[in-house]
Amino acid sequence: MAQAKSSGELDPLLVWSALGLLLLGLVMVYSSSIALAEGSGFTGHRSNYFLLRHSVFLVIGTIAGVVAFQVPLRLWQQISPWAFALGVLLLLLVLIPYVGRSVNGAQRWLALGPANLQPSELMKLFAVLYAADYTTRKLTDMTSFRRGFVPMAVVMVLVGALLLREPDFGAFVVVVSIAIGILFLGGINARLFAVLLVVMAIAFVILIWSSPYRRERIFGFMDPWQDPLGKGYQLSHALIAFGRGEWFGVGLGASVEKLFYLPEAHTDFLLAVIAEELGFVGVTVVVCLFAVLVQRCFAIGRQALLLDRVYPALVAQGIGIWLGVQSFINMGVNMGLLPTKGLTLPLMSFGGSGILANCLALGIVLRIDWENRQLMRGQQV
Amino acid sequence: MQSVRFSRSPLLSQRLPAWRQRLLLWLLLLAFSILVARSAYLQGFHNDFLGEKGRARYERVIDISATRGRVTDRHGDVLAVSTPVKSLWAIPEDVALTPAEARDLSKLIDVDLREMNHKLASERDFVYIKRQIPPELAERVAARKYGGIHFQDEYRRYYPAGDVTAHMLGFTGSEDAGQEGIELAFNSQLAGKTGSRRVIKDRRGNIVEDVESIRPPREGKDIVLALDGKIQFLAYRYLQQAISENRAKAGGIVVLDTQTGEILALANSPTYNPNNRQRLVGAQLRNRALTDTYEPGSTMKPFAIALALEEGKVRPETLIQTAPGKLTIGTATISDAHVHGLLTVSQVIQKSSNVGAAKIAGQMTPAEMWAMFNSLGFGSPLKLGFPGEVGGRLRPAKTWKPIEQATMSYGHGISVTLLQMAHAYQVFARNGDLLPLSLVRIDAPPPAGTSVFSAQTAREVRAMLELAVQNGGTAPLAQISGYRVAGKTGTSHKLEGGVYANKYVSSFVGFAPASDPRLIVAVMIDEPSGGKHYGGDVAAPVFAGVMAGALRSLGVAPDAPLAPLQIANAELVKEGI
Repeated sequence: MAQAKSSGELDPLLVWSALGLLLLGLVMVYSSSIALAEGSGFTGHRSNYFLLRHSVFLVIGTIAGVVAFQVPLRLWQQISPWAFALGVLLLLLVLIPYVGRSVNGAQRWLALGPANLQPSELMKLFAVLYAADYTTRKLTDMTSFRRGFVPMAVVMVLVGALLLREPDFGAFVVVVSIAIGILFLGGINARLFAVLLVVMAIAFVILIWSSPYRRERIFGFMDPWQDPLGKGYQLSHALIAFGRGEWFGVGLGASVEKLFYLPEAHTDFLLAVIAEELGFVGVTVVVCLFAVLVQRCFAIGRQALLLDRVYPALVAQGIGIWLGVQSFINMGVNMGLLPTKGLTLPLMSFGGSGILANCLALGIVLRIDWENRQLMRGQQV
Repeated sequence: MQSVRFSRSPLLSQRLPAWRQRLLLWLLLLAFSILVARSAYLQGFHNDFLGEKGRARYERVIDISATRGRVTDRHGDVLAVSTPVKSLWAIPEDVALTPAEARDLSKLIDVDLREMNHKLASERDFVYIKRQIPPELAERVAARKYGGIHFQDEYRRYYPAGDVTAHMLGFTGSEDAGQEGIELAFNSQLAGKTGSRRVIKDRRGNIVEDVESIRPPREGKDIVLALDGKIQFLAYRYLQQAISENRAKAGGIVVLDTQTGEILALANSPTYNPNNRQRLVGAQLRNRALTDTYEPGSTMKPFAIALALEEGKVRPETLIQTAPGKLTIGTATISDAHVHGLLTVSQVIQKSSNVGAAKIAGQMTPAEMWAMFNSLGFGSPLKLGFPGEVGGRLRPAKTWKPIEQATMSYGHGISVTLLQMAHAYQVFARNGDLLPLSLVRIDAPPPAGTSVFSAQTAREVRAMLELAVQNGGTAPLAQISGYRVAGKTGTSHKLEGGVYANKYVSSFVGFAPASDPRLIVAVMIDEPSGGKHYGGDVAAPVFAGVMAGALRSLGVAPDAPLAPLQIANAELVKEGI
């Protein structure tokens, strides 16, 4: 995996794939939201309502990414526990009535003047930072169940409980995946890990069966055509969008599904609109860009490890796991492979908190890459 | 925080084994490749099924309405046309008008504010606020952008000539279907056929894409009537004038072209304005010239006499004794208004003697007379395709009693429509034959007529009918300056409950120019009560006015010197009733 080139300061594949996803996301957010924006009172019937907001988010995200790039990993590691604590605090705040804002029965947002902050999006990044820091600190205890696994499990149960309380099942799955993934990379006992996976699977099943809200989403996913106008409504329209798109799509802007049929077309179901307008080709391009992104995160992490930098390595690969898992789940949901979760497509879907968290993460990965290069040149970081 | 240099840690290579990173990365890449495979399946192989589901969701078949054909007169002047209008409808739940907006809207579209608010407060999903408003007005309403208020394209039938052509054209009802008159008779041609298109609609019902045409709409065909707008107007005006002057209950008039059988004018009174059919009563709707029968009275006499001439029973100059002005057959007595004494057959027509006509008819068998009436078209509808057309009453010859045969010769005990009468007079106006009547303009040469009498008989009767109009006849008021006129008056008591009441139907049927007849005009005035009731007084002036105007409008060459008429002092011979 020693692909890092000595020339250039930034990993070009990572930068280009991230930029590609961000810009394609902007175009598709605009395309998928025009009709909704024009036909809704809350947007003032301005067709560029979502385009303008998403553009602002991208600018803010880029600035945040640049700022994150300036921060040395040493400092990131120092603030990791505090960042995580901040995340937990925000998750608590969101649950306080009148402080947290509720949309469609889920209390996930904090009103911050003109925009809303979604703490669960930031929590994903904080979880990466924290889990990496934790694993780095407990590297020698990784084989121990009590010292290596239990403390992390306790923390994750706490965070998980807060996320499920909102409810934000999607964020819960992503955060747990990040934690387990980083523990796994950090060398947790393989047998322990296997037991853990089984326990997790049982816990998931219990969680799903204990909540009518989640169960409903599961049934819709199993056979959307059984109740296509009720539980299976959203998924059936997403699948129709894929079917209509065929190999090459119906053309940018020509989606019918986005015309009030497919709910959440500009957020969770953005890929369905991409599939309809740009076809299989468009979907494949998106999947490939994510694959490149994830591969670069892992490669940068591997490079860091070769330079004996465990924390940066786990952060880079943790971010790779995060973006990989979340994009896979989102796309899988869009295609009917997974139950509907309420997860956005990283870097692409409309939403300020998500874009901000993703850009921060990319800034950190690029910083790791940059520090790797500095070290390879024999310089200090 | 402990700072351990990991390069020195002996556990490093075991703790962060490279295979775990590779495994995770490959798992994620495998997951991505599953996504690509799934996408290929959905978009490349399962797409037929999904596309079908999609079409079921948002493809709709919508109707494309066809425009109803126009009706024009023989010169192409429009008599009935469909104009686009808009209907204002609302989903009450969606409407949120402020009181000021509601007031403004109600004033704009001229709907009572309370009525409108009542409609908008209803529980229904769909209410019409106002139907059929002009497109310009609809645009002004649309410019105000009230939520929940929508417009629907419709057509409204407009009749430029209004009440003048009301009975001829009839009207359309809901769904643009013909309900009366030409609109009903020619509905299948006028209506056209609604087409349909397949479109894609968004979830809010807006059409976003036109997929294909399933069936193009077939526009309705235009109908060109035989009607002549000018003559129709003349006929209508003279009729209305006579109705009001004579304080009559009703009336009808028909103008025929003798060369083609075309109906050039047809009007009735009372009538209505087809463009505004509120407060319409049945009497206004009756197309009397076609759907009402009456006992024609003396206008029937020429037929019995023509048959006698045809069969050689009499000659025009054969003398008939009509004194003492009475004739008793069985228990019934026939009488004349005056005692005329010895009359020639021609004079029987000229003076309209009932006794004379009855005596001549007595020379024929009932079967002969029935056959003659039947071949003239009496007793069965003319089959013009006009709604409500009736045939009148002509009883089978076997049931005729002698007295009935006698009264039928002068138009009692038999009932006809005015149009049948005009139609039958073709035998005199033409040389003894009949053409089928036509509502629509005939562009091809007219078909050969069916012969009823010989040309000789027709000429002889024509001469007698000319006498009736001249001074010394029953209808000098039917004379026209510049043209020779032939015709016959009719005045009959009305049957009310099987008894002849003291109410009259006054009529006149005639044609001109007598030397080469071009037009037949038949006039019927029901219950004149202005002091005059003889056909020669009431109906003949209408005939003269219409005939004179129509002949001039058609540019028919005069066949008489343009001398001032000498009818001022001419005494009108009272006909037998």
